[in-house]
Amino acid sequence: MLNLKQLLFLKLFILYSITILAQSPRTLLNQVQVKLNKATNYSADINIIVDLPYITLMPINSKLYYKQKDKFKIDTKSIAILPKQGFLQLNMLVNDTVNYTAIFQSKEIINKIKTSLVNLIPNNDTSDVVLAKLWVDQINQVIIKSQVTTKSSGTIKTEYIYGSQVFYGLPDDIKFTVDIKKFKIPKALSADINTSKTTKVEKKFGEINIKLKNYQINKGIADSVFDKTN
Amino acid sequence: MIIKSTYNELLKIAYKPRSYIGIAGIMIIIAIILFAMKVDGSFYISLITGQFEQSLLFEGTILNGNLIAYIIIQMLIIHVPLLIAFVTGDLISGESAMGTIRLLLTKPVSRSTILLSKFFASCIYTFIVILCLAFMSFVLGKLFFGVGDLIVLKSDGLIVFQENDVSWRFFYGFAIAFLSLVTVATLALTLSCFSENSIGPIVTTMGIILLFTIIGSMDLPVFDTIRPFLFTTHMAAWRFFFDDPLNMTHILYSIAILVAYISVLLSISFYKFNKKYILS
Repeated sequence: MLNLKQLLFLKLFILYSITILAQSPRTLLNQVQVKLNKATNYSADINIIVDLPYITLMPINSKLYYKQKDKFKIDTKSIAILPKQGFLQLNMLVNDTVNYTAIFQSKEIINKIKTSLVNLIPNNDTSDVVLAKLWVDQINQVIIKSQVTTKSSGTIKTEYIYGSQVFYGLPDDIKFTVDIKKFKIPKALSADINTSKTTKVEKKFGEINIKLKNYQINKGIADSVFDKTN
Repeated sequence: MIIKSTYNELLKIAYKPRSYIGIAGIMIIIAIILFAMKVDGSFYISLITGQFEQSLLFEGTILNGNLIAYIIIQMLIIHVPLLIAFVTGDLISGESAMGTIRLLLTKPVSRSTILLSKFFASCIYTFIVILCLAFMSFVLGKLFFGVGDLIVLKSDGLIVFQENDVSWRFFYGFAIAFLSLVTVATLALTLSCFSENSIGPIVTTMGIILLFTIIGSMDLPVFDTIRPFLFTTHMAAWRFFFDDPLNMTHILYSIAILVAYISVLLSISFYKFNKKYILS
């Protein structure tokens, strides 16, 4: 039987826990944000491996440039395929403290790493993002997995593996899993031979794996690099 | 003797104004396509990538010389056979109509040699047309649109070929396109042996191509058994070189069918030309 003091303590403990849990997701994201903002600009050599249904593409090597807040470029003469909501969206979500509310959901262990699952919910219905789930490594203060559902692009799952640049929150390996809607093309447009009917394949998922190396962080990148004509 | 005779036949082709219709036609059509793609190429690109753009972003120069060359060949390869038939359908019937066949056959050269020289001449003419098509599409395409990876639209998806993996595919693609055009030239030449005027073989060749193309494109099971044996089905065999991985069985089958057509048609024309009555 609990006495009055014990009951009061229990009530206070529960209230305290709720308060802590209510505050911690934004605090956690702020820590991630601070870490990401350490790298004001960077470039890296990237290797893109595409494994998508309906698309055959050899791996390509290229160079990636980023400059805060939203300058991003992949310098390639080859054709590269990336998820539409790829690199910049996560930075934008983490940095936006006004339009999204962060809610703690649970604690999970992913690849032996203790993570906090934080949901970001838009504050208004005009946002393209419907829901963003972020698995945050509590120790290194980096996002190791995300699942962003948007109205325009469906759901994109991303997994991050960190190595040498974990101090800046920059990954060595990113794996995107994207929705690919059914592909339908008239025979006349493709002009294939020995195929008699229009191809219709149901919705599938695909993966885009990007390996990043040779980071050059905070060495300065001219704005002209991001010029579309370059 | 065959070389001299072939040279003479080439001179005859060169002196006929109709021989330049095909080449002029190709040049005009390619110039129009180059202009249209320069002005409105992004629309065509959206046809290729549009279905993926909801979730994917395409980086790099998609509209480049390699894609232009591919588009041009895809568009023109259907029409070039008609231009080839204009010239090769006239090689024997034209001489019959003008009466020069009698003079030609009084030369101390066998009829088979004469026919063979006409066949070789039509092959050389076809080669020049293909060369013209290759130059206009491949060289001018790269000149105006630059180089880059080739993105190919198939019925079951997209294939992106890296720039250094494209030239050999075009080379073999043009080679097999040449073989398919030689098939058309041989058909027109064979029909030419049966006629006393030029219009008949040319129109009949066009009619056969049209008929076979319609049968080949109709998705009816009744045609499934004959479709693989129509030469028009294999006129698009150049596209097999833009598959990944290459399907050598399909390529060799197409080559075998086209060579079989050429052999059979040439045999018929040899038989007919050697029996041809020229005294009336």
